[in-house]
This record gives sequence, C-alpha cells and structure tokens, in this order.
Amino acid sequence: MDEDIRIGAFICDCGSNIAGIVNVPEVVEYARGLKDVVFADEGKWSCSVDYLATMKELIKEQGINRVVIASCTPRTHEPLFKRTIKEAGLNPYLLEFVSIREQSSWVHRDDPQKATEKAKDLVKMGVAKAALLEKGEEIRLPVNTDCLIIGGGMAGMNAALNIADQGFHAILVEKESRLGGLVKDIAAISYNNETVPADEIVNAKAALIDSHPNITVYTNAEIETVEGYIGNYKVTVKADGSREDLDVSTIIVATGMKEIEPVGQFEYGRDPRVITQLQFEGMLKKWNGECAKGNGKISNSKSQIKNNDVVIINCVNSKNESRGCCAIGCHISVKNALALKARNDGARVHILYRDLSMVREEGSSLEAAKKAGVRFIRFPDDRYPEMREEDGRLSVLVNDLLLGEELTIPADLIVLTTGFKGNDTVDDIKGLLKISANPDGFFQEAHIKLGPLDFPSDGISLCGCARSPKSLKEAMEEGTGAAMRASIPMKQGFLEAEGIVADIDLDLCTSCGLCEKNCPYGAIQWVDEKPQVIKALCKGCGLCAADCPKKAITIIHYSDEQILAQMEAALEERAEEKIIGFVCHWCALGGVDMAGVSRLQYPSNARLIRVMCSARVSIDFIERAFELGAAGVLVAGCEFPTCHYITGNYAAEERIKKARKRLARKGYDPNRLWNIWCSAADGPKFANTMRDMVKKLGL
Amino acid sequence: MSESILIIGGGIAGINAALNAADYGCKVYLIDDTASIGGMMARLDKTFPTNDCSICIESPLMYEVDNHTNIEILTNTEVRRVNAQNGTFTARLIKKAKYIDEQKCTGCGKCVEACPVSVPDELDGKIGGMRKLIYMPFPQAVPNVSVIDPRCRYGKMREQGACVGGCVVDCSQCRECPIALCVKACKEEGKDAVVLWQADRPMDIEVDGIIVATGIQSAEPATGLYGYNIYANVVTNTQFERLMNAGGPTAGEIIRPSDGKHAKKIAWIQCAGRGLAKGLPYCSKVCCMVATKQTIITKEHDATVEATVFYNDLKAYGKGFWDFYQKAKENGVTYLKARPYDVFEDPETRNLTVRYENMDTGEIEQQEVELLVLSTGLIPNENNKRLAKVLKIELDDLGFFKEKDPVLAPLETNVEGIYVCGGATGPIDISESVVQASAAAMKAVLH
Repeated sequence: MDEDIRIGAFICDCGSNIAGIVNVPEVVEYARGLKDVVFADEGKWSCSVDYLATMKELIKEQGINRVVIASCTPRTHEPLFKRTIKEAGLNPYLLEFVSIREQSSWVHRDDPQKATEKAKDLVKMGVAKAALLEKGEEIRLPVNTDCLIIGGGMAGMNAALNIADQGFHAILVEKESRLGGLVKDIAAISYNNETVPADEIVNAKAALIDSHPNITVYTNAEIETVEGYIGNYKVTVKADGSREDLDVSTIIVATGMKEIEPVGQFEYGRDPRVITQLQFEGMLKKWNGECAKGNGKISNSKSQIKNNDVVIINCVNSKNESRGCCAIGCHISVKNALALKARNDGARVHILYRDLSMVREEGSSLEAAKKAGVRFIRFPDDRYPEMREEDGRLSVLVNDLLLGEELTIPADLIVLTTGFKGNDTVDDIKGLLKISANPDGFFQEAHIKLGPLDFPSDGISLCGCARSPKSLKEAMEEGTGAAMRASIPMKQGFLEAEGIVADIDLDLCTSCGLCEKNCPYGAIQWVDEKPQVIKALCKGCGLCAADCPKKAITIIHYSDEQILAQMEAALEERAEEKIIGFVCHWCALGGVDMAGVSRLQYPSNARLIRVMCSARVSIDFIERAFELGAAGVLVAGCEFPTCHYITGNYAAEERIKKARKRLARKGYDPNRLWNIWCSAADGPKFANTMRDMVKKLGL
Repeated sequence: MSESILIIGGGIAGINAALNAADYGCKVYLIDDTASIGGMMARLDKTFPTNDCSICIESPLMYEVDNHTNIEILTNTEVRRVNAQNGTFTARLIKKAKYIDEQKCTGCGKCVEACPVSVPDELDGKIGGMRKLIYMPFPQAVPNVSVIDPRCRYGKMREQGACVGGCVVDCSQCRECPIALCVKACKEEGKDAVVLWQADRPMDIEVDGIIVATGIQSAEPATGLYGYNIYANVVTNTQFERLMNAGGPTAGEIIRPSDGKHAKKIAWIQCAGRGLAKGLPYCSKVCCMVATKQTIITKEHDATVEATVFYNDLKAYGKGFWDFYQKAKENGVTYLKARPYDVFEDPETRNLTVRYENMDTGEIEQQEVELLVLSTGLIPNENNKRLAKVLKIELDDLGFFKEKDPVLAPLETNVEGIYVCGGATGPIDISESVVQASAAAMKAVLH
C-alpha cells in the first residue's frame, strides 16, 4: 500500500455508560500515542446525528484514511458507522469497531482502573488491525431472468406461474408426459369439509401454464448436465429424445415425492385385495368418472362397489426406526373413508391408527367421518394389526388399545397408508446441483427453520414435497415462496456479496482441493486445475483459510496478518495475565454482549478478537498466542447445532482437538486452550467461563 | 406490481415478509403494536427439532430489518383505518407514545437504573420476572430504545412508589419535568430523550399491498385447570420456556415458583384444556414438539431430572420431528399415553400429584411431581377482530384470518391486495411461517 496510514480513533463516552467507569480521556490520550494514529477524539454520544456529522468533517479535515471506533458493539452499530465513513468519502471497509462498553465498562464496573487498561488494549488492538485494513468492495454477480424449475407438479407449476407473471422466463421440466405430479393421480382434495376433484385443480393450473407466454415446458424430460452457478448455469435438458442447452440464472427444485411400495407387507403385491392409499385414490377416481358418465347419479356408481368391508391401516412404514410420521396419512385416510361412504353408504369402514395426527382444519373432517359411521380403532405402537385369510376371506386382527381387546374385522379390501420418499430422480439431481438429501430422498434445506426454501448455495431454491411430505395447500405456498426466493436476485439483476471474502494466492496453491471440498457454499470452483473463488457466493466464514496447508488463502478483512497484529498488540505487555479470546460474530459475541447488557461482572483478563465464524481460527493463531506468552486461549462459537455458516462450529471443534495435540507436542499445556459454544442469549455462560478460566489458569 | 407494502406484525413471519419484499425492491412499512419487533420467537429459548437458540438465529434478521434502506419500522403502532381505492390502500396508523424520543434514545439503560419501581413483567410476571416502569422490551430489542409504562404517568403507580406519583399535574400538560428520575438520568447523560408529555401520533401512508402477520398467542388456562393459578408450581409451556431461557427471569435456572428450588421431577400435560367447554376445540399442532424440546433441554440442564409427558395423540408431523421425539426418549424422557383428570397439591412440599388413566393399561394411576407444565395450545391474536374490521377481511369461526380459497389461492383474503401469513392463519411453526411469509411477499409484490 502506497498511501500513508492515517488512523483516526473515535472513543465514545456513551454518556456515562463508558465514561462513568473507563477513563475515556486517558484512553484518548493513549490512542494519540499509538503508531499511525493521527487523530483521536472523545465523543459524548458517537452515534448521535450531531457527532456523526462532526466525525465526517474530522475525517476530511484530518486526512484520516482508517477509522477506529471504540464504543458499544458491532452487532448493532457497525452498519451505522460504516455508512458514516462512506459518507465521509472513505471505503466502508476501512473501519475497525472496538467494543469497550459491552466488553469493558459494563462488565468491569468494580474496577475502573482495569476497565481502563482493557479499553486501552482493545483500542490498541483495533489500531493494529486498522493499519492493515484494505479497501473492500461489495461484489456483484450479474443475474438474468431465466429460471429453471425441475418438476411439474403443483408446487413446480405454481412456482413457474409466479416467476412468469413477473415477466421473467420460466422453464418447466417434467419427467412424465403430463404435468400435475402426484395430484393428477388422486381422486380429490379436501379442505375444511369441502371437496374438489383433483383433476379440476390440475387441469386449471396446467391450462394457465400452457397459455402463459413466458413459460417453456419440457415433458418426458430429464436434466442431463448442470454446470456453473447463480446467474451463470449451463443446463442440458433431454426431452422426447432430443437434447437442448439452456442458459439459466436460477433453479427451483420441485421434484416431489412418491409412495413407498409396501412390498411383502400384509401380502401386498400378492393379494389384489391389499392396496395402497394411492391405488385406493385411483379406484375412487375411477368411480368418480363412472359416476360422471352416469349423469352424475351416485346410484349408478354404487353398483360398482363390491367392497363392503374396508379396513384402512395407517402408519405402514412410518413412525419406526428408520422413518418418521408421513405428515399427511391420517388426513388422507379420513378423506378417502368419507369418499367411500359417500359412494356406498352401507360400506363398513375401519381406520386403524396409532396417533391421529390431524390438525386444526382437518379436525372437522374427522368429526364428519365419525358421524358418517367410520370406525376408528387405535392400536398400540408396538403391536401392528395382522392379516388373516380363512376360506378365501380376509380379516384383520387388531388390538384395540382403548377397549383393551383383540378384535377381528372382516375385510373385502385392505388399504395401507404408507410413508413417502423422494422421487427416483433425487440421486441424479443431488449430484448435478451439488446439494444433499436425507436417507429418504428429501432434500436438505439451508436451515430447517429460517431457510426452508433455500439451499446453502445461492441461486437454488426448494419447494413442495421434494423437501418433505406435505398437503397441497402447503406445497402451493412453498411453490410461491420459492418463486420469491429465486426472483429477488433476478429482479435486482445481480447477487451482491459483502466484501469479506476468500482470496486464493495461486502462486502458493498446490491444488490439493481441500478448500473446494470444505466450502459449504460451493463458492470455490475448479478452473484450469486451480481453485477459483466465486466471490459473490463466498460468505467469508474463513473455514478454507484456516485449513489451507499452504496458507494460500486470505480472508479479506479477517486476514492472518490482521488477526496476528491484533494478538501481538494485545500481548505486548503483561501477556502472562491475558487470555486471548476468539469469538464468532453471530452467537458468541452475542453472548458477550448479553453479559454486558445484563451487567454481569467478570474478570477483565480477556482480550477478544472478533471473527465471523469460529472456523476461521487456525491452529497457527492458537499456537502463536501461546508463543507470545498468553495465559490462555478461548475459542467461542455458536452453540450446536446453530451455526451461521451451517457447520463451521463443527469444523472448529475438530480443529481444537488437533490444536490441543499440537500444543502438547510443542510443550504447552493443552488445558490452557479452552472452548465454549455459547448462544447469543447466554450471557451467564460467557461470564462463568471467564471466571472459571481465570481460576483454573491461576490468574 | 406493488411499489410499497404495509406489513402488520413484526414477528418472524412479518420480518421475513419484510426482508423478501424489501430485497425485491419494495418500500416496506413494518409495524408492530408492541415496542419491539421479534414477536414470539424472540422470547423462546430454543427451536425444535434442532434446538437452535431462538434469539441467535432471529436477531441477525432483526438487525438486517433495522438497517435495510427499504424498510421503515414502526413499533408501538396500530392500524386505525384503511381505505381501498383502485387497488391501493390508504392507511391511518397511530404511533402510540413510548414517551421516548426514539431518535435520541440509545438504549443505554441509565433511565432504567434510575427508575425506583419494579412491576411484574407482562410475559414473565407469573414466574417472578420483573421490569421497571421504564424498561427495555428485551435485551435484543429493535429498535433498541426504552419505553415507559403509560400507567406511570397518570399517578396510578403512586402507591408503588413511582417518582411522579406525588405530582397532581397530568404529564401531557407539561413540557418539562423536574420530578421524574428517568428524565433526570437521561439529561445527566446529555440526551434528554425521555418525553413524558409525548402524545400518540397519527400517520397516513399509502401502499399497494398489505400483509397481515399478526401472529398467534399462547392460550391462558382457566383458573383451576389442573390447579393452574391455584397451585404455585403449575405453569404453562410458555412460562416454562422462559424458565429455560438464559435470557429469562431466572437466567435459565429451571426452578419452582413456590420456593426457587431446582425441580427434579417435572411432568407435561399435553392438550391441557382441549375439548373442555372453555378449552380449544382444535389441535394446535406444535405443542407436542414444544414439550419434546422442553424435556430435552431440561435433561441437558440436568440429566437427573425425571421428565414425563402425558399425551393423547402425538403430533410429530414435520421434518425431523420423529427423530426429535426418539431423541427425547433416548435421553430418558417418559411418554405416557394418558388422560390426566385431576391434580392436587401437597401443602407442605408444594409437590403436585397427577391422577390419570393410563391408556395402555386402562388403569388409574398417579404420579407426584415437583413442577407441572400445561401445554395449552395456541389461540388467535386478541386484536384479530378489531383488525379484521379495519381491513374489512373475514375471520374464520375460530378467530383466525380466513383465506379466500385455502387450497387454490392460499394466503389470499377476500380483499384483493391483502394477504395473510404465519400465525395469523392458525397454529403454525416457525418454518411454516417463514414459507408463508415468502409466499405472501411474492403475492403482495405481484399485486
């Protein structure tokens, strides 16, 4: 860097919140004496509109080109100060945020002198890092408006329509000859006691798709190859025997699910009187059709129904060691029992169940079924009903849990409500898109609670039964929701990433491939036998850099150099009293802040270094801290299973184990390396850890 | 296409709808009738089925909303009137006074320290949670500013020792207050952000679409139900959640309200109140997993705690839910298919004896526990009726917002341009709320 480093340090009083404990003028004076600092000032309220204006003037006036702000916490206030220095004409990445309220004045109230010492150290560390800061830039990757939707069931069709209605191009690829997925094979949909023939629903949607000018449909089609990333996918589709290459920007996965065939169970497959719910739907559908032909008179169709004793057995292949609740079976069994009763009032229908998993709106159909005379028998979890055959007649032996009796129910037809699994194409799609699925073939979303429609890689969304079994209503909602997720970058025209990204020095790189393998976001791609960071996809967690055997990867804004400089500054004096703590931005720092807000008091020995993820902390950092004489090192990350970067904390945990071994080899006591997994709500945990460390380390 | 939308309710559904619409390029007004966004999720300890820390995953989104250039957050704000015309809406909002200048307040908490009166907290009061008359809604609140209990101003808290209690002048009549300690503390900080004479402020906005995301609330059991409100150690599942939470009133210690001792035997009664005359006529679908989560976390706090769940029909319907239930059982939690019908208290130990019919054996049995948790289910937000009237949209017979056609046009209401998502549609979990929020945002921007 050619320009002179001119650091401005702005130390905040936060009224008396900081200044009441920490001797701020002393810290300001101290900052003035630090290398590269050309200006330091005390602000009563640094975040006030007045002071921000003053700050901007001072930056210009004093020719400041790096800013250190020492105040509250970056978790709430960093964006504000970033904006401010940007308005002063500086690159927003030339800011270092030092937390002297949450990490000092609020938590060391009883010892103003130590609080002041710690504040000085924290400012010194901030200045050391600031001197090495480089300009960052928000990286933009252009994104066009072509979206590929894989799967033409109800969720996929709904997604396609929403995409197309915005004027974007939706490309819908369906493996079967007709659109409609699972719903086209069933008789009717019911909700709140209202029943609609499924064909009506499918046909209405398919008609909208057919007539939409912005939708291209491929049927009898499969995806052969996918290459690239958001904004830049090259896809080959094979449809009706011919191949076509497509350029698309985003992808929505809507591949649906299928019923598990209960082969060998209850003589299914051998005895035609034992069928699945989906086959039962087929029968009902046929009857519907015949009923329609008979001028809509139900009496005409009644003659077709010979099955007077129907036994429905729920939870077949569900709720066992390998698979959970199928989510929709109870409702389907009740719906179909009602449909049968509507056709043949004299039919005796039994539903054998374990738990009736019917929610709010489904409760009314349960009541209707009971009223219609459908009988419900609850059997114990560990004693499934058994099938019997005598003189060619079937019967079902069931233990009625509520009566405490064994019952034998005659059966002309046995309907098995079986579980579901992902469609046959799941394995291929998984490989092509580099996404994962669970053992049942349901795709794994980015986050089960807050990222249900996303994959870790930007640009690919998920919806419908490809994620997990669900009702039509939910699948429709997910189709629309996934369309939204895919549309945001298409509408913006780009994907923007923060400036905190990985950068690979190809001169040092030996192409071992570890970084590509470890990246949870698919942000490292192989180009000409070398790894390349697709910066817009990189989230800056630093996992790759910490593990790179050649140290060829730099994380911009959290480089090795910068972190080591912070550490050296912290340990320059009285290292033997100090603990170096690496805290992740998302949870552990949240816990630190929570301890501050709660005014929990703990010893002042720690000097915290913020990293975006605990996975950024390399073994070298830890070792270096001990070389510099630190009393102890703490690595604090998110509590399992939470991690802002999916699994960074798991990687950190593995690395800490290795670090302990290396420390032992090098003659350091491995017990001086601590780690905690701390939630953002758990201030007490952080404070207790501080107390414990100080005690155990004998400080 | 909509250029601006109004989102009513700042819980996880409203937050997600806001971020989706704002990222899409829409101007978003996100309003909430409480003092902070965050909703129910901000108060939970963990989320099932992964036991993610709730505030850890929600607060980054709250800060993102706060810093989003397309989103304007209006807390303590209600919708008074809405007129629809040619596909757009004019809305009259009322920003109820927090008696705080939100521009000046930095959430430093000096006023809270200065306030002499503590009162039971709305959420945690029954399990010992207290707050001052001037307080932060919760530590991660967005916006991060104090709020004043309106009762303070009119001398209603005189007997409790409120510092303005002795004054005979209505606060709205003054422009300066020499008495209030919070005003003084704030001035000493050089801020002067406490404005006791602040008035409710009307505000008119024009938007192209509206999303109703007013959420859901936990049902309060009737007094006497399994001893609730009579026996100290009977709590609801929401109260228990706060007991587990490190940010809650007991800093995460699972202790009994009666004596502050750690509870070693805890039972959960599922479907508490369901089917009774005043109880819920429907399944709230999440309580089974909430109880499962609570047993697992309880065992994580202290593996020696004996945990029993009395349940009827187990709802483990979602992805990963069944495994979660298995995990609880592996950790030693007992699930009993049972119908509890009576609870009585030992006046000395304050322990509770639950009498129940064991459905597996048909026998009448009983069990003594130290703490009893009632899983009470979810009910419509109490403001739904008023809001439905203002928006001219319909409620269903249970009091949730009615979708025009739940299957073919989910999340749409009888008024074009008004959509609904999250708990406003009925009992729902977080991931389903997030899905609906994205979908409702898509529909609203396409309107």
